[in-house]
Amino acid sequence: MSEKLHFFATPYRCTAAVLPFDLEERLQQWTGLRRKMVEQVPEPFTRDEWAYLGVFLDEANLRKPFLESFGETRDGSQARPTALIRPRGLIGIWLPNNVSLLGPLTLILASFSGAPLWVKSGSSAADLTTTFVDYAVRNLPAGTLADDLRQRVRIERFDRQDPRNSQMAAEAKVRVVFGSDAAVNAVHALPHPPDSVAVSFGNHRSEAWVEKEALTDDRVMTLIRVFAIYGRAGCTSPRRVVMLGGSNDDARALQEWLVRLWPKAVREDVPMHMAAANIMELQLALVQGWQAIGTPRNGAVLTTGSLELPEPTGLMSLPVVSASSDEAIASLPANIQTIGHCVRHPDDPRWLEMIARTPAKRFVPIEGMHHFGPVWDGGNYWRQFFEEVSLQP
Amino acid sequence: MTNLLDSSPFAPRADADFLNKMNEICSWHLAGCPEYRRVWPDWSETRRLEDLPFLHVGVFKRQLWKTAAPGIVHQRTLRSSSTTQATASMIALDERSSALQAESSAAILKELVGESLRPLAILDNSRALRQRGEAPARITAAMSLRFLASEIHFLLADDSMNWDRLGSVLAQHRQLLVYGFTWMLWQAWAAAIIPEPVRRLLANAEVHFVHSGGWKKLEAARVDRKRFDAALLATVGPASKVTEYYGLVEQVGVIFPLCEAGFYHVPRWAGMLVRDPWTLEPLVGRPGLLQFMNVLSWGAPYHSVLTEDLGRLVPGNCACERCGQRFELLGRVPKVEIRGCANV
Repeated sequence: MSEKLHFFATPYRCTAAVLPFDLEERLQQWTGLRRKMVEQVPEPFTRDEWAYLGVFLDEANLRKPFLESFGETRDGSQARPTALIRPRGLIGIWLPNNVSLLGPLTLILASFSGAPLWVKSGSSAADLTTTFVDYAVRNLPAGTLADDLRQRVRIERFDRQDPRNSQMAAEAKVRVVFGSDAAVNAVHALPHPPDSVAVSFGNHRSEAWVEKEALTDDRVMTLIRVFAIYGRAGCTSPRRVVMLGGSNDDARALQEWLVRLWPKAVREDVPMHMAAANIMELQLALVQGWQAIGTPRNGAVLTTGSLELPEPTGLMSLPVVSASSDEAIASLPANIQTIGHCVRHPDDPRWLEMIARTPAKRFVPIEGMHHFGPVWDGGNYWRQFFEEVSLQP
Repeated sequence: MTNLLDSSPFAPRADADFLNKMNEICSWHLAGCPEYRRVWPDWSETRRLEDLPFLHVGVFKRQLWKTAAPGIVHQRTLRSSSTTQATASMIALDERSSALQAESSAAILKELVGESLRPLAILDNSRALRQRGEAPARITAAMSLRFLASEIHFLLADDSMNWDRLGSVLAQHRQLLVYGFTWMLWQAWAAAIIPEPVRRLLANAEVHFVHSGGWKKLEAARVDRKRFDAALLATVGPASKVTEYYGLVEQVGVIFPLCEAGFYHVPRWAGMLVRDPWTLEPLVGRPGLLQFMNVLSWGAPYHSVLTEDLGRLVPGNCACERCGQRFELLGRVPKVEIRGCANV
């Protein structure tokens, strides 16, 4: 494997990266695969998942990790680096059963680190990571990316009791763990190299903040799609919609708006068991005191009511509540991850002041709530894939 | 009391009588159960079964429902015995409904197994009887046969079969009634190695096996009804029988026997609908979610329950000559993987 030096610079710093591949070639290979991906959706990907994966492989998106971590690419002849980065070593990635796209997405980003990967996928769920890697290996042209995916990526399915968990932890220089807080703690508690790095993606939840005046049919449709793709099963899915500064009537109006546009935004029926469960969730929400409405064809349950009501538990239940800014902040859960916004002036400094008062990790437009990147859950984890050498010429 | 119970369970009925009684019982629960009223605030009497209010079977796992009304005295809580679900259903039993439910199950069981008294052997542990204030559904189902029992024997001890006890019963009696959950009957009896002395006694016994509880656990072992019946009958003497019925905790007292033509039958004091899971439209001849109704349940609104079982309402008359509705049971609603993040 031949190593190549690449250079990146910000106005204040120049960084040299020693990578076992040519960055431009790797970018071209991933984006070339993207073009191929429009031809078919391999099982068990859904059409939406495959489409998102394709969007993720956009060249500008793939350049972001380097850009956000080390700056623009630079011609080596003019570079005066003050730091050298190199892959830290084996990256172990723990994916629990119901994690879907995060597996392939993490793998794509990690492929730019040049480190070998060992991925533990869920023991009982559809394994999108293996499917994606198999697809990529079959469809990529000969080159370092295909070679790396074939030879330096190891994906295995096993459960949390399997001894390979300990082996992974013992060998990995970076442990990336998705899962419940307990699962994350359990992995990091395994014996591991003292100089290894822990990346934790534990239990988080998200919500949407909207202003009545910012809502349009298009944005309501976007909100529906962002919720409907995973319901409440996604850590970046809105578990509630907060109508900021609105009245209860405003919340009810949005509830009715959502119901009206739901069939237009979501064309496919939910699975039969979900439709049946939504009947139950609708009845339970009514018992709890919510004003609850089912969407057509039992696709979801939309509720309105006061902030104090117990949160609906259904996977496809979405409460809409009105609240002042202070009430919205006060009622945020401690593990809030993403606040998706649909407000008139998101660049107004008051939002910055508000977010500064919260433990939120992301404040993004509602359409970007699920967009995964190198900065996640409060830190630039991708940068942790490298170790850094300080240079003083 | 209801006059629907005055005739034999599968005699013809005037459907209007059933609808009237259902309207009455729905109004009763709306008046006495505030939670029920929150779910169905605008309901008023109807002329169509499909417009009657119902509760989804899952709501009984989240909350203990009770209707307060004159003459209603709540006693114990019936709990489902399902081992495949994490949470048990809770049904508040009351004196008035229990009397009707006992009358209902007795009438149906008599129709199924006859009226002669004989020893009842239950494939369960007697420990289950000793839970205060609670009635596990499995033991409740077994005990619904006690009015036909000259004596009762529990055949499981620490979850293993007590063949000695069965042997001592068979040493004194030639006829025997045996009740067990379907999977337990398979595991503990049909698939077990029976000690030779008991085997010899069984070969001369006339045993009527009665089972319920569903086939889910046996699907993995690829045991179907034909194999199940054959395995049981191979262990016992001539004139022995196997009878299956479908029932659910949330319709306590109502038993839906499987007839020789392969259909489950609905007694005249109960009713059923099959609904499209996405639209809730009633379906005839096509598979959908089963909804059951009965006129026995006055202490809590479990008189009309939408289940997560799939079935098909079969039109026309049955070859077994029972009147009323009949259905095919197609299993539980299939579950598909839920994707998302790790955090649910």
